[in-house]
Amino acid sequence: MKHTTRKWLIFSLLVFWVAAAGYGWFLVHQEDNAKLKSVTIGFQAGDEFDIAKSRGQFAKKMEKKGYKVKFKEFQNGAAMMQALATGNVDYARVGDTPPVSALAAGTKLTYVAAGGTKEKGSGIIVKKNSGINSLKDLKGKRVAYTKGTSSQYMLLRALRKAGLGVDDIKWVNLDQDAAAVAYSKDKVDAWANWDPTVAQVELTENSKLLVNGKQTGAVNRSFIVSPAKFAKNHRSLSRLIIKYGEQDMHWANTHHAKVIKLMVKDLKLSKNVVQLAVKRRVFGIYKMNDEYAKEEQKIANTFYQSGILNKQVTISKHVDYLK
Amino acid sequence: MSDASVLNKKKFSLQGIIPWIIPLAIILFWQLVVSIGWVSSSVLPSPLEVLKDGIDLTIKGELPQNMSISLYRATVGFVIGGGIGFVLGFINGLSKVARLTFDSTVQMLRNIPHLALIPLVILLMGIGEPAKIFLVAIGCMFPMYINTYHGITSVDHKIIEMGKAYGLNRSAMIRKIIFPAALPTILMGVRYALGVMWTTLIVAETISASSGIGYMSTNAEQFMDMKTIVLCILIYALLGKLSDFIAKNLEIIFLDWRG
Repeated sequence: MKHTTRKWLIFSLLVFWVAAAGYGWFLVHQEDNAKLKSVTIGFQAGDEFDIAKSRGQFAKKMEKKGYKVKFKEFQNGAAMMQALATGNVDYARVGDTPPVSALAAGTKLTYVAAGGTKEKGSGIIVKKNSGINSLKDLKGKRVAYTKGTSSQYMLLRALRKAGLGVDDIKWVNLDQDAAAVAYSKDKVDAWANWDPTVAQVELTENSKLLVNGKQTGAVNRSFIVSPAKFAKNHRSLSRLIIKYGEQDMHWANTHHAKVIKLMVKDLKLSKNVVQLAVKRRVFGIYKMNDEYAKEEQKIANTFYQSGILNKQVTISKHVDYLK
Repeated sequence: MSDASVLNKKKFSLQGIIPWIIPLAIILFWQLVVSIGWVSSSVLPSPLEVLKDGIDLTIKGELPQNMSISLYRATVGFVIGGGIGFVLGFINGLSKVARLTFDSTVQMLRNIPHLALIPLVILLMGIGEPAKIFLVAIGCMFPMYINTYHGITSVDHKIIEMGKAYGLNRSAMIRKIIFPAALPTILMGVRYALGVMWTTLIVAETISASSGIGYMSTNAEQFMDMKTIVLCILIYALLGKLSDFIAKNLEIIFLDWRG
């Protein structure tokens, strides 16, 4: 290569690089708006707030009330609890297990709302030809789960229901993506998980739900939690979020076709997978009540008795019923 | 045209091709394996499917946007981290007092895995852009530091003696002798830092990101969207190669004086 050609080539590459980076800077910072009070809401792909975000109404209504909503996506509940503990998230939509672990770890959080359950789409999946037909057949089998998530609780409940001991199965702790490959390659015999992954595996891996959350009592409800101090000082904001969130959820329950379309685009899953997951789920955002608090207390007790948590937590002390 | 130059040209074009033989062979083999059906395409999508996914995402604008955002984080992190590493390495290379004060601290910090730092980074910097840029900066700092430091301390003593014999003062000595002599090693540091920049970025983009290539791939992982996962891996490989190409050519341009 000639020297001047080389110089020009590298120079133009660098200019292009800087221009692209500049465009990136613009994309990242364009949404800053100083006039409104900002509220940061943590969510996970495919959850209640993901729908509210994709639909767009929620942010508009909040803006009219003087709040700029910033949605922050997280890969899992544990990461969200970390962000919550450090005050980087004002509201976090999580599964039923991460807040219990966070409370036991000393995070000061308050339950401000509850969501619907995924009881029909959560549970233990097995291959149809695996010869596992009842919970008792799980004895001695390798079961994949993810530590600190609802799947751990699901398995504990399922074992108890079947009259099996905690050590009667081989617990295989894997992240979602690793578990997916392990399950597909028969390195594990069963997998405790929830929708939409369960729906996907059912349809693509010739699998069935051995037991769902309705049967085991691990209903896998969603919760919205806040840092304790924030919750105490922003009760009217919490009410607004429940009110507008509930409107979106009502819309989601009555407009399945549109929700399915949004989620197919958002999650890049095939339509029949999303359809199965959406049809068996009831969306909702409600004020906390005693029943929901008791569900959480059961998780706390089960985890404490199994030695997963080393501290007993009283959930009702950390709930704001927003009466 | 003489025979020799024709031969040279042939040799040159061959040299341009050889490095691509293995990557091409891997891709062809990969396509074959999937086409024949040895591996199910739901486990490993074929290169063509991946390419199609890439084109789809480019048309939607998702891929260019995420790449720009990643480039922004990577570049700013690299400039900050590389800059600090360079300055620290330079000072420590020149001054024994500075070396004694800073070097062992830097060496201790160097080996901390980035994943282990994440909770601390969230605590200190939050979950916004500064946290991501900070992680990349930390990653880029150490290769720059080590190479600059090494480059400066290993300048041949004979040249320094010669400079002294010419009566150069300290600043002229640094400008005319030490810096140029250390430059090859420093540029090597730039190459390493550029490599680390991409690997740190994927870790950084797991901190509550809603954009960037790292986000695209972790998001795809959640739902086993293998096409996008593989696409992101290929993009990382290509971006890595591109930055290495730039660094290598900068070396050639800047080190022209060596002849």
